[in-house]
Amino acid sequence: MIDAATLAQMNGEYVMPPDAGPAWRAAAEYGFDMSLIEASLKLTPEQRLAEHQQVINFMIELQESGQAHGTK
Amino acid sequence: MAQNDQALLMRLKDSGLDFVVIGGLCVVYHGVPVATFDLDICCPFGDENVRRIESAVKDLNPVHRLTANKLPMEQTRDSFKDLKNIYLQTDLGKLDCLSEVTGLGGYEQVLQQSILHSMSFGQFRMLSLNALIAAKIATGRQKDLDAVRLLSAVKEKKESQNELF
Repeated sequence: MIDAATLAQMNGEYVMPPDAGPAWRAAAEYGFDMSLIEASLKLTPEQRLAEHQQVINFMIELQESGQAHGTK
Repeated sequence: MAQNDQALLMRLKDSGLDFVVIGGLCVVYHGVPVATFDLDICCPFGDENVRRIESAVKDLNPVHRLTANKLPMEQTRDSFKDLKNIYLQTDLGKLDCLSEVTGLGGYEQVLQQSILHSMSFGQFRMLSLNALIAAKIATGRQKDLDAVRLLSAVKEKKESQNELF
């Protein structure tokens, strides 16, 4: 049986880390998905840049594909 | 149009140019995953340094991307000594070279607020987290202020973990 808190997390509710400081809480309350920051901080800087490059490559490919199909 | 920041960084390093990586890639470097479609650096200017930039990208069809006619870089050599910024489109992507950073100052000030980081493809100077936050605040633009919220959260977390930045 899945409890209500777990179900909420499964539905996207962000669980504030126990060590979250005021800036972290403010950013979360502002609406940023802090789980993305948590994931990024688990990577090395070089891994972050490599991941960014992959994202950029995909976005450019998507953009060019859209243009090729007449999407504006 | 491609955007290969790693290749551009390696070429700039090989050219002998001194530079500090600033802008969106630096935001990513410090742990905030944003999508950025250009490579921004701060570097010393003057004829010799601009020639180094040119040598780094000369086989990549560089053009001044903000000029109306997309002027090829090679046609503007007479103006190299007068440039304070360069905004290029190359076959490996957009490369913006700035002589100063708002809120921080010129290259020497930026250099003093940078950190040297070793990666598998070389050692590069990146703007420190504190300096990046200061620069973003100084622009006052909403997108930069949004980035400051996240960079401040990262800074807070790193401070709590006694990490250097």
